[in-house]
Amino acid sequence: MSSEDRRPLRGLRVLDVTWFGAGPIAMRTLANLGADVVRIETHRRPDGLRLVAPKPPGDASLNVSGFYNNFNAEKRSVAIDLARPEGHELGLRLVRWADVFMTNMTNRAVRQVGLTWDEVHEANPGIIGVYEPMQGLTGPHTEFIGFGAVLSAITGLNYLSGDASEPPNGVGTNYPDYVINPGHGVIAILAALRHQRRTGEGQLIDMSQLESTVAALSGPVFAWDNAEVEYQRNGNRVPYAAPHGAYPVASYAGEAGRWIAIACIDETQWQAAAEVMGSQAWTADPRFATLEARKAHEDELDALIEAWTSARTGEDATALLRAAGVPVGMVLKASELLADAHLRERDYYAYLDHAEAGRRAYDGPGFRLSETPHEVRRAAPLLGEHTFEVATEILGLDPDEVGRLVAEEVLY
Amino acid sequence: MDSVLDDIRVLDVSGVIGHYSGYLLADLGADVIKVEPPEGDPSRYWPPLLPGAPEGEAGLTFLLLNANKRGIVLDLERDHGREAFRRLVADADVLVESWSVAESERLGFTPEALRALNPGLIHASVTPWGRSGPNAGAPAADMVAVAQAGLMHLNGLADGPPRNLPDHQGYHCASIDAAAGIMAALLHRDATGDGQLVEVSMQEAMLIAQETAMQQADILGTDRTRLGGLRPAGFKMPGLGIYDTADGVIFAMCSGNAGAGFPGLVELMAELDGAGPIHEEPLRSFALTSMNAGQLAIRIQDSADAAGILDTLARIEEIVAAFFRGHPTQELYERGQQGRVLLGPVNTPADVSADVQLEAREWFREVPDPGRGRTLRYPGAPWKFERNATGVRRPAPRLGEHTREVLEAAGIAS
Repeated sequence: MSSEDRRPLRGLRVLDVTWFGAGPIAMRTLANLGADVVRIETHRRPDGLRLVAPKPPGDASLNVSGFYNNFNAEKRSVAIDLARPEGHELGLRLVRWADVFMTNMTNRAVRQVGLTWDEVHEANPGIIGVYEPMQGLTGPHTEFIGFGAVLSAITGLNYLSGDASEPPNGVGTNYPDYVINPGHGVIAILAALRHQRRTGEGQLIDMSQLESTVAALSGPVFAWDNAEVEYQRNGNRVPYAAPHGAYPVASYAGEAGRWIAIACIDETQWQAAAEVMGSQAWTADPRFATLEARKAHEDELDALIEAWTSARTGEDATALLRAAGVPVGMVLKASELLADAHLRERDYYAYLDHAEAGRRAYDGPGFRLSETPHEVRRAAPLLGEHTFEVATEILGLDPDEVGRLVAEEVLY
Repeated sequence: MDSVLDDIRVLDVSGVIGHYSGYLLADLGADVIKVEPPEGDPSRYWPPLLPGAPEGEAGLTFLLLNANKRGIVLDLERDHGREAFRRLVADADVLVESWSVAESERLGFTPEALRALNPGLIHASVTPWGRSGPNAGAPAADMVAVAQAGLMHLNGLADGPPRNLPDHQGYHCASIDAAAGIMAALLHRDATGDGQLVEVSMQEAMLIAQETAMQQADILGTDRTRLGGLRPAGFKMPGLGIYDTADGVIFAMCSGNAGAGFPGLVELMAELDGAGPIHEEPLRSFALTSMNAGQLAIRIQDSADAAGILDTLARIEEIVAAFFRGHPTQELYERGQQGRVLLGPVNTPADVSADVQLEAREWFREVPDPGRGRTLRYPGAPWKFERNATGVRRPAPRLGEHTREVLEAAGIAS
């Protein structure tokens, strides 16, 4: 932690009326870049992630979910009941304070709290407003709702993941919520900020989570539209490389049932892999001599590789293949990543003290700036932790007034 | 409308790991120059291929991710190629590359050397593991990062192999974070004139997508694993997961209080099929008040009547599955969503291509590609700005299409 704040967004005021994943993660990135991110929340209808696991056993507090806390570090939380007229007026005063406003609530929820773009823009004509409902602000499906898992279905992610022999179960997480959608959101906000600084103009950014997700998953759609290629879910195989798969190893870290990912993207890597695996005969075999031949005999190829990996530990297989220049990596688990030597040396995870949750791990930055580095200084806020501070410092209320509003449950 | 980056020039000498970052910056209006070796970027040759296009001009992965860019050929293995590159760097605003540390040293293009050429340069290094740490420089590919970011462990059937994510999510996540870092660095440069290094590790870019796995390991000391979708272990939750329809597959998330929850599904069933056994006691009360997966998991664990609860759930599941089988996917989707029932079709790429919402928002764009003798249909941008133009304006460059134009404008003999 440096004493001088060199972060590139210091001084930027951001009003965060987001919840779940896609919105809060985008807002956290801005906070880590130095923006003052103030989050409006309520006890009446808390962010769904405050309610869910993982929490310490037996602890039902709204302040201890690791799911929530990881995405909200470095922010301030002000608890305002926006559904009350006085609360709504305080919300609009924060809109007037802010340079950037973001929500990923449904259009209906945004109308209910009175923070539609018309209302926000009228309160602050220079503001950047980012609205990220499931399917955008216009069109016949603008009111359609969902979570990352629903989005995974409608964008084709489910259809394309897994194997043809399995139903399209999805990818095991609400995947689009965590990098694609918040990442595109951050880029869009920073772009609009550049426009604002050049012209003085704010603007509306209409982010459809559907469009944002398909944009990062558009290879198969592009192939269908322009070449009538029908992608299917096909295990871990890809059209342009073989071998390309996950193979069982005898053990890893002393544990059975573990897998290694091996991907030979070009002929050099394939030849190196074949040599390591002990049989130059493989490369001479007409079944495996070219990519086309290997794709035509991929089951046989995978069986040979599996026979080799199954006879070795993950540690040995990784070391041998990596030394030969073959892209390889164990399929790792979260606990291993927390302890991973590479990530530790790079200081990826941040450990922050939280009043209720204790000292916990937080994800580090997805990108690092050499001169204006990202910093994670503060753990996630308790619900309403900064209500008094925000009410007096930003909203200019005197302490008695704050007391009255708390008594009347406009503030918490 | 002006573009946000209409004054910005980007040199993109990255491999596939960085292509989408240049694509995003080009979408925002930057003049992105794709720098390729004489034989072209490897993804120019990757299947699937555009029918009828010549070799090297047909790889659809390349054509998609390099839209809007100009393309030049420079042989960085040779002195004159490196000299031309240095001249271009001196005039560029942003450089995106994917060299290992050793490679950048061999070429003479370390961050320090590049900074000396152009102190205002925003230099983005996009690599599998970052520029430091014991794995730096180790060979990798998209799937290897997905494995090493913990995501394959979470994806697949409980008793099956771990699964990759489709369509290069490792490369895409790395590129998205690179573009975000570049934009932040650009704001700093606008204010101060100073450039800097933006460093991205593909593995790190994906780690946050483990959802709750990291926090669960940290807080509870246990690892999440793959379960074949979002199903809690131990019982099948009706209304949660995939169902066959009359003509396809639909994903349902009718549990808890999200949207209209399971009661919304019960109402949809009455709307489409009239009252059935689920609308009569004893099932009705259970279906309207108890269908929360998390709470049921606890009840099944604790209750003496676990068998009875499981039996009720099995009956409800049978009714729900029969309901979905009796209707076409689009009807369920449209009618369900009108009642805030969380349903979404399991779309194929062809379904996405024909989606009425994307159509209504004019998301796809037909772009003439005279060099390849046809018009290509490109996907839209991940954002819509009120005041700034975005979207695909020109197709991907043919190999070396703009070498002469770019080098001449820079005063370099080609």
